[in-house]
Order: sequence, then C-alpha cells, then structure tokens
Amino acid sequence: MKRVFVMVVLVSALFVSLFAAEMGKLTIWCSEAQVSILQKLGDEFESLYGIPVNVQQVTFGDIRSKFLTAAPAGEGPDIIVGAHDWVGELAANGLLLPLDYFTGQKRANYLESALKGFEYGGKLYGLPYGSEAIALIYNKELVPVPPSTMEELIAIAKELTDGELRGFVFNAGDFYMAAPFLFTAGGYVFKETAQGLDPNDIGLANEGAVLGGNLIKRLYDEGIMMPGDNYQIMDSLFKDGLAGMIINGPWAILDIQSAGIDYGVAVIPSIAGKKAKPFIGVQGFMISSKSPNHIFALEFLANFIDQKEVMYKLYLADPRIPTRADVLALVQDQPDVVAFAGSAANGTPMPNIPAMNSVWSAMAGALTQIINNLLTPEQALQEAVDKIVLALAQ
Amino acid sequence: MLFLRKTGFWILLILANALLLWSSILMFDSSMEGLALSLIFLLFIVDFAFLHPKGYPYRYTLPALGLLLVLTVFPIYFTIKTAFTNYGTGHLLTRQQVIESLLKEYVTDENALPYDYRVFMRLENLHPTEDFLLLLERSDVFYLALKPSVKQRDSRGNVISASTSIVPFRNDQALIGDSTYTIIRSKQDPERILSVNMAGPTDARPYSFFFSFDDASTLPNQKYFISEVFAAYLEKADFLGPEEQVLRFGTRYGFRKLLESRKKYGLDTITVEQDGKVTQRVVFVNNLTNRPLEESDGFFYDTDKDGSRTIVGGYSSFVGLNNVFQMFTDSRLSIPFMKIFGWTLTWASLSVLFTFTVGLALALMLNNPRLKSRAFYRTLLIIPWAIPSFISVLVWRHGFFNETYGFINKFIVSGLMGLEPIRWLNNDFWAKVSCLIVNTWLGFPYMMTVSLGALQSIPYTFYEAASIDGAGRGLRFRKITLPLLMTSIAPLLVGSFAFNFNNFVGIYLLTNGGPEMPNSITNAGSTDILISYTYKLAFEGSRGQNFGYASAITLFIFLLVIAISSVNFKLSGTFEEVNR
Repeated sequence: MKRVFVMVVLVSALFVSLFAAEMGKLTIWCSEAQVSILQKLGDEFESLYGIPVNVQQVTFGDIRSKFLTAAPAGEGPDIIVGAHDWVGELAANGLLLPLDYFTGQKRANYLESALKGFEYGGKLYGLPYGSEAIALIYNKELVPVPPSTMEELIAIAKELTDGELRGFVFNAGDFYMAAPFLFTAGGYVFKETAQGLDPNDIGLANEGAVLGGNLIKRLYDEGIMMPGDNYQIMDSLFKDGLAGMIINGPWAILDIQSAGIDYGVAVIPSIAGKKAKPFIGVQGFMISSKSPNHIFALEFLANFIDQKEVMYKLYLADPRIPTRADVLALVQDQPDVVAFAGSAANGTPMPNIPAMNSVWSAMAGALTQIINNLLTPEQALQEAVDKIVLALAQ
Repeated sequence: MLFLRKTGFWILLILANALLLWSSILMFDSSMEGLALSLIFLLFIVDFAFLHPKGYPYRYTLPALGLLLVLTVFPIYFTIKTAFTNYGTGHLLTRQQVIESLLKEYVTDENALPYDYRVFMRLENLHPTEDFLLLLERSDVFYLALKPSVKQRDSRGNVISASTSIVPFRNDQALIGDSTYTIIRSKQDPERILSVNMAGPTDARPYSFFFSFDDASTLPNQKYFISEVFAAYLEKADFLGPEEQVLRFGTRYGFRKLLESRKKYGLDTITVEQDGKVTQRVVFVNNLTNRPLEESDGFFYDTDKDGSRTIVGGYSSFVGLNNVFQMFTDSRLSIPFMKIFGWTLTWASLSVLFTFTVGLALALMLNNPRLKSRAFYRTLLIIPWAIPSFISVLVWRHGFFNETYGFINKFIVSGLMGLEPIRWLNNDFWAKVSCLIVNTWLGFPYMMTVSLGALQSIPYTFYEAASIDGAGRGLRFRKITLPLLMTSIAPLLVGSFAFNFNNFVGIYLLTNGGPEMPNSITNAGSTDILISYTYKLAFEGSRGQNFGYASAITLFIFLLVIAISSVNFKLSGTFEEVNR
C-alpha cells in the first residue's frame, strides 16, 4: 500500500517538475509533424547560443487546454504551436506575448489574411506557418469541368443526381462548411474594426447572409441535398465515386487519393457574381507571456523559424497552404495546394475572439432549422443573431 | 530480522512523510491550497494509522481514504469553492499574478533609437570570467555600464531583477566611483576599440574586447556570452541612465540591442472620497496617460481620455452568491428551465422503466431451466453493455437514425412499409424516442444481469408451495417474484434514475441536445437534459468558459438529485430491509 502511495506522490511531484518552465532553457509544445524540424532548429540554436531547446510532442487537441492550466501557474512551455482561433481565449487570459518585432518587411513577407487570424485587439500574437480553407472537390469522371458559378453547380448537380448517384453533397448543418454560402454576398460574423472584431456588430442575418440561407434551402427544395446529409455521408459517397462534387478541406485529400478517385480541386463557385468567401484556419507559433525566457523565445521565432527554408520544411512535414509569400511561390507546381490557396485567398479568418463560442452553436441551430424547413432562412438567421446577442449580453 | 523490519518501517514512513510534505509545499507554491490541505490531512491520517496503537485498523482503509480525498472530497470542495467565484475565461489568474504581470509591462517609443553594445571581459589565463562591462553606443556617443548587481532572485535562484547605471564617456574617459575607465583604441585604426582600462585605488586590470554582434571575429565567444553572461545578468536588468531613462532588452530587438523603455504602469496612492470618508488607496497609474486604472468585476480597466475602457487584466475573485442569483434571474436559464426539467424527469424515469422491463423480461426467460444453451444467449445479450457506448451511440446515430441513409428509414420505414421517412433526429418527438431507444439498448443488459442474480436467490420452494395452493403463473410473479426481487433491485433502480438524470453522454453524443427548440432565445434543444443544457450554457454559450457559473448550476443539480433520490428511497422503502 505504502508503495502505491509513494508512487502516487512521486508521480505527482514528477508531473509538477516536468512541466516547469525553466529560465535559460526553451520548451516548445508542438504536434507530431513539427517535432523533428523544430528539434533540429533547436540543436542549431543551442550550438550558437548555448541555450538548450526542448521540443515536446503534445497531441494537438491537448495543447490548448494543457497550456491554459499550466501557464497561469508559471509552468508550461515558452512556445506553443497551435491554431489561430485559440488566440482570443489565450490573449484574453493574458497568456500570450504580443510580437512587437514583427513590423515592416518582416510583416510584408506574410499573407495579410493569415496575419489577421493571429491578431487580437489590434496586436499580433502569432507567427503563422500554414493555413487551410475549404474548396470544391469534384470527381473528374462525373464532372469534367468544375462549375464557376452557383447556378452552374445547381444545373450540373440536378442533371447528375439519379438514385444512388449524387451531384453535389456538403455538410450544410455545420456553420464552418456553410460559411461560404452566407458570407459571399455580404454576410459576416463580427464587423472588423481597427481595434479588432466588434462583437456588437453581427452580420449573420443581413441581406447577404439571408441570400445565402435561401440558396442552401433551394438546394434541399430542388432535391440536390437530402435531409440527413452530413460529413460522414459526404465523405463516403465521394470516396465511393457516388458524388460529383463536395465541399471539403485539404485534410480529406489523402483519403480521396487512396480511394482511387480521379479528383480535382477548384474554388467554390461564385454566388451572386462574387467570389466565394470561406473561413480560413491558420496555424502558427505563439509565445507564452508567462515564460521567463521571452527574449530567447523571440530570437528563436524571429531568426530561426521565420526563414524561407524552415517554412518550406514545415510545409513538407505538414502540407498546409504556406503563409509566407515566397514559400507559396515554391509550391506552384502542386495543383491542389494552388486551388486551396486560391480559395483561401478570398477567405476570412475564423474569428478568434472568445465570443465566437456562442456563434457556433447558435448557427448550427439556425442551419438545422433552414435545412428541415422549420423556419424561413430570414427567421432562422435572425433568431440565431438574437441568441448570440443574448449570450454576449451576459 | 526484526531490526531490519523496524528500520524498513521507519525509513518508509519517514519517506512517505517527507514526500507528502514536499508535495504539499509544491502545491502551496503553485497556489493549489485545497489540494495541499488534503495532502496534509492525509499525512496526519497516515501517521495516526502507523504510529498510534488504536490506528492499526485504519492501515487497511488508507488506500480508500487517499483516493476518496483526492478523487471525491477534493473535487467537491473545489466545485463549491469555484461556485462563489468568477473563475473562467478572462479570470484565470489570481489578482497577485495580474498585478505582477502589469508591473512587468514595458513600453517603448515607436521612434526611439536603439543602443548597440559590445562586451569587454577580464580574462583569467585566457579564459573568460564573469567580470565584465558593456560599452553602449548610440549616435557615436559611448556609454559605460558595469556588471549589473542582482536585486532579486526567484525560488529557483534565477535572477528576476538586476540593475546598473550607464555613464557617458567624455574624451574616451568615464568615472564611476573612484575608478576611471578609459577606452583604448587600436593605433592603426582608431575606430577599433581593443579594451577598456580601469584605473582604481585597489584594482587596475584591463577589460579586453570580448563580443559584439557586429564583429564576426568574436562569433566564437557568442555562446559563452549568451548562455553565461546574458542569461544570468543582462536579460532582466535595468540600465539606469543619467536622465532617468531606463534601458532594457525588450521584445523588439531581443538580445541584439538595448532600447529606452518605461514601465507602462506604476503604483501611486490617490485620495478617494467614499461615503463621505476620505481614504488613501494604492492604485495603478498608466504612465503614458497618467490616468489611474479602474478595478471592477475582477477586471483592471485602462481608460483613455474619451473614457472608453479596455481590459488590461482579469483575475479570479470572490463574487459571493452572484452566480446563484444569476441562475434565477438569467432569462436564458429560467425560460426553458421547466421544459427541460420536465424532460429530464421523463427521460430518467422512462429510461429506468424501459431498461428494467426489458431486462427483467429477458432475465425471466434466461432463468427458465427448460431453455437450452442459456449461457450462449446470456453472452449475446450482454454484448450491448460490453461495447463502449461512445461507439454504439455513434452507430445508432449515423447508421440507424440517418434520415436518408439510415438503416431504419431506408430499409424498414420506406423500404418495407413504403411510408414517408421518419425525421428521427430532427423532430422533437422522434428525437426523444430515439434517445429512449438508444438508452434502453445500452441499459437493459445491466438490469438483466442484476435481475438474473436476484431471481436465482429466490428459493424454488416458494413457487412449489404457491402452485400447490393453486396460484397461477401471473399470480406467482406478482406475489412472489416481484416483491422479493424489489428488495434487492429497488436501490439499483434509484441509482439508475440518478445516473440517467445526469446521463450527459447519452444525450450529448446522440443528439447534442437537438433539435433546437423553435422560437427559443437560447441554445436549448428539445432533448437537452439539465446537465447537457448547463454544459452548453457554461462552456459553449457565451464569452468563453465560465467555470464559476457552471459550478453553481452543478451544485443546484446536485441538490435536486439528492432531493429526488431521498424521496425515491423513502417511497420505495429501500434499505428498510437492510436496517432491520
């Protein structure tokens, strides 16, 4: 018994000391794809400056929550690799260091949309290395030429849909997937201002958003989309060659390739004459404000990670759309990346402010009501906006 | 042998004491007082059990007690404590931590010119030492900075604050204290500085040029400089200038250059009039605008001249009963509350009823001695219990209840019966039916197993006597089986009710609470039970996470479950048999 007990205490003590941030030593939390690259860079850093760099692999989904518990206690890593939509929560809790050095030419090297993702309250909190956005993926055997407008898409889809075979499927109940429909003609989540996003100005029930809502409803009314369609169904239909066109992100490509589908990637067709505007997700490096090693962490970010070759290596290890313009130029021979990049170029970063929490659930509710014809798109979207306003008024 | 055992006993006990004490100190250090106190409490119990003669029996309960403290008592304590605070997004740090980090914030002027520097070091047998000085340079003016003196170290011995002053050179000479420092330049190239000579009353040795970022020939010294000198002395140092300016290594140039910086916030005492009384208060003042920070609701606000406020830091603070008041005044909670509460009760009682009925029926069948290969059937029927519910719920959701492709609609409803497809998960009524079907599927094997055990404990002689008296099958079931079964099963039914009352996974995985209640102003769904609704409210429904509010609601649900369960226990007369 005593042995068990001693073990428990030992393990808890070990836990505390393992995660302690140490002065004069950099700790980085990242996911599997970046470990070897960062460790190599870290060894280089140590040989130049004598400051050891310890790269720890943490499951991507755990980095945020572990960081949130560890950092306030003065523990945890100096640098984390994560998604831009964590920034709001982390910065609101005062756990991230603004990257002041990132000005002038250094900033100009990067795509503005990727940088915007990491901004909160007018300050930049992360160095982006890759981004992603959804696009139209089509089966070349069924759809030889991808549609460029939504009207064309509807026409092609109607012609193809026949029994088991479906012309166009997407996960309309998910706000992330439905966003291009709502945003393209003028909808937005929160208004962008110079001080950051304004949670009091919600554009999810404006004219443009309602137009998009009606378009989604039309897809169901005309029998192109079926009730019960969801991500899994879309994915498996396409991999079985039973769907002509879907909307999905770069993460789906590997599976589609191994399913042996002759696919192509194109930008999402335009709506009301405007280029489709999907959500963008950006990945990047952030520095803990509770780190005792700010200056070394900054040096590592500014002069080791922020290099063309390193960013290219990060792309090879984790093939997202490069956010550094000169790295993006290196991958122009990859048609999929180019197509996804084209889609992202017109996109808008998912809002990173904590208020976004209430938007996801309210919008999922509104989309369900539109899809199931319980309310008109106007009513459903207005109701969602009312809910968001109420949730934020707390 | 005895001696060895005694020594071993004492060594282990001392070790356990030391470890417990040490970890509780660590916990205190990282401000986890609750856990630290529980550990100290545990320490007392451990010592009591092993040292006090009367404590002997407690040795065997120690593992249970330890786990009870860490896994049950501590979480309950923590929940209650959190319920009275505003702990959550924006309020994670303690007030002390926020104050410390505000005092560490520095601002620099956008256009300020940075200072370059070179390092001069005294060498001993050609080896570098830690005796060094810096030569700062800006716009062709040189300044001297001696090795900073350490003012404060943290518990790990790291320097957290240090300072030194900078003195400008005049004609390559600078005076600090009694010592004169002279710049020695190369004769061939006066631009090159070879060393700085020090001439003092006691000590006069030169500092030779050691390192500069602009001089590639000193690159071999970089590693030593950064890891031994910069990290140890310079990183957190203030360089105090003659005109009260402060130079620091900041986040703009890293360790390459120094920049004039100012503390963004300083402390000041102001006089405030409150309720007619004049008091002195210490407040933060923004050094740029000279305005004090306002503090309310667990936030520090910085106000600009138009009076608009920005949050500069938030901390977790005691809010008393605010969370409880909010629970009753929050229209988002109170309006759909009755609907959801009603469904929670229906859901929990129907779940118990269905699982018990199905389970008992199957148990009666399996208990029949004339049934062949009973073990095989029993194994089959336990399978739903053995499969993790995470998997089977998802199979039900996607495989069976999908409107177009689901098994039930595709093959049975439209296929066999040729009816309109049922909107399983998108219609309030059918969504509730789906929830109950899935929960019955998941729950009946448990009821079957416990009923089977209870059935086997009923003596066969009772039935024989009853049939001799002419009782039929139904009568025997009602008069013998059911009452005898109930004495042992009823507590389990009450337990099952309490479990289903809070069966978060069953609802959240299957329907996520949906479909949305139409015309509702909250994210309440028709199949939401209290726990899933409060989860949504606390974690998905507002600005980030609100642990304080969630804890208050949890306590409320806890009280509800206690009340309902105690009424249930009373009504069903459970435990009476045991007490008698």
